[in-house]
Amino acid sequence: MIGDIFLQLSVRSVKLNFTRSLLASIGIVIGVVAISTMGMLGTNMSLQVEDQLSASANTIVITADAIRMGPPGTSSSSSSSSGISKTQLNKIKAAVGTNGTVIPLYSTTTQFTSGNVQGRGTIYGMNPSDVNEFLTIGNGTNIAGINEALIGLSLAESIGVDVGDRLKVSSASEGPPTNSSSSASRATITVVGIIDDRGTVTDSVSTDNGIVVSKEWYTAQYGGKDQYTQVNVIVDDTDMITEIEDAIDARINTDEKKQSIRITDASSQLDTISSTLETLTLFCLAIGGISLVVAAVSIFNVMMMSVNERVQEIGILLSIGTETGEVRRMFLYEAFILGLLGAGMGGLMSIVIGYSVVDAMIGTTEYFFMPASIFYVPIGMFVGLVVCVISGLYPAWRASNMDPIDALRSD
Amino acid sequence: MSDTPLIQLVDVTKTYHLESGDFTALNHVSLDIMENDFVAIMGPSGSGKSTIMNQLGILDVPSTGELYIDGKNVAKMTNLERTHLRRDAIGYIFQKFYLIPLLSAYENVEYPLILKNKTRDTTGRASAMLEAVGIDKEKSEHRPNQLSGGQQQRVAIARALVNDPKILLCDEPTGNLDKKTGFQIMDILCNLQKEGKTVILVTHDPKVAEYAKRTIRLDDGRIAEES
Repeated sequence: MIGDIFLQLSVRSVKLNFTRSLLASIGIVIGVVAISTMGMLGTNMSLQVEDQLSASANTIVITADAIRMGPPGTSSSSSSSSGISKTQLNKIKAAVGTNGTVIPLYSTTTQFTSGNVQGRGTIYGMNPSDVNEFLTIGNGTNIAGINEALIGLSLAESIGVDVGDRLKVSSASEGPPTNSSSSASRATITVVGIIDDRGTVTDSVSTDNGIVVSKEWYTAQYGGKDQYTQVNVIVDDTDMITEIEDAIDARINTDEKKQSIRITDASSQLDTISSTLETLTLFCLAIGGISLVVAAVSIFNVMMMSVNERVQEIGILLSIGTETGEVRRMFLYEAFILGLLGAGMGGLMSIVIGYSVVDAMIGTTEYFFMPASIFYVPIGMFVGLVVCVISGLYPAWRASNMDPIDALRSD
Repeated sequence: MSDTPLIQLVDVTKTYHLESGDFTALNHVSLDIMENDFVAIMGPSGSGKSTIMNQLGILDVPSTGELYIDGKNVAKMTNLERTHLRRDAIGYIFQKFYLIPLLSAYENVEYPLILKNKTRDTTGRASAMLEAVGIDKEKSEHRPNQLSGGQQQRVAIARALVNDPKILLCDEPTGNLDKKTGFQIMDILCNLQKEGKTVILVTHDPKVAEYAKRTIRLDDGRIAEES
């Protein structure tokens, strides 16, 4: 191919009109950069979310089927709503057996103050011995006394709380306004540890902006003893998740008409999030694709100009025995060279611009060079190249089908 | 040498369908040209000279009648077969030289060889052809626009000869050249005819036509005179 005279003619034609060719290629550069960057951005987002979610992929979340509006006992409406009962908890423990750890949790949304700073967030009540099963205390120690608490790093930073500080926590959760909640007293807890941020989680325990207290303190403040908001099961072997879920379901959801508990895990949430991100990425790619359509028109225009300027040359080629296929090939080479120029520059720029965009939008480039992400660069280049060659099809066809007599006569 | 004509036109008519009506450029022309002939075609503008050259060069086909080149009926050939016959059997020399501007003189001459052999010339034939028409190695590296008219026409002759065609079609080969260079080119064509080529040339110039063995005068698409 290197010694191909038609390739040489194409290269020389591009060189002869280099500025024009370069300007046309810039369209392809933009298209390649748009496609690659959008694709990499979407993939980096997916990879980050997947990574975060996979941290809790071994967790089954069990909640009561009824929606709880507040902790039991705080209002008339909440007293009728049910959490997970002790009997149900025991059945869950029996179903899990030695295949995992069962962590019952209370939770509600509440208000609190630290000095003059007011805040609100979720407060979790749990057995302190369960904390280390899925939470990481970055600073301080675990809960030891009844009035001690752990606080999420993001919340601690936003309200300026550190280990040893005290928080006044409303003893009523945020729910529909009731007389009891408006007159609620405030209990004091001491922060003994800061929990590392967990990011996006699928186990419904978002401690980044939350507080963790002992279950005893929680039930003393909010009531609802043995009516757990949720029960998390951390399984030892993720391959057994479905089996354990089925066992729990069989023991508790015995009434076929009405479910008592709802069982979910990370995989279903991961599927939903991945599917949403995939749609988003496709949408972004389509926007990038539009710029390639514009580039295609530009390449088509340049190729038509090249054909129109070289009518007499085409006439000479045809009259001295050049096959129509060879003339076609010559112009397709030219389109290919323009594509190669655009795709090459676009590929290099995609890496630089994509890296900057991913860093700016996602905050990390940890996943940028992973195959699933960087793969969009050759994909973008390939699409740019194909678009170029397709844009050259009609001009090449037109050139090869010229009447040599008319072509020779043209000046 | 065979008694069969190398080129045979049998009652050839070429009609162009124009918006203003049909125009008959060649009107029932019959002509035999034998191998190693030297034919000059003359006539006023619009007499059909270019049309007959296009027919002989297989750039066009007759509307009616038959054209045989080297025994093959052109009308019955496919486009690709006509292209190959044009490439292998016919060498063109044009008034405006029509060299490929993006190629050097050497590459212009090498080009028909590449078309035929589908590979670059390693035999030295292209260089030999250029040398034979008086283009030295240094000049052969030049692009056409860096050569004089006479040099360009020499390169065009070398290109026309490189595939060793039987027929040389020359359309006003001296039309763009000064007198002296024109005669030099005609001498080259005469020598080629003597070496066995069949030379057909279209000219307005009676002095150029004197080089030919036969002169055909066209008028209004018909052969008006043959001498």
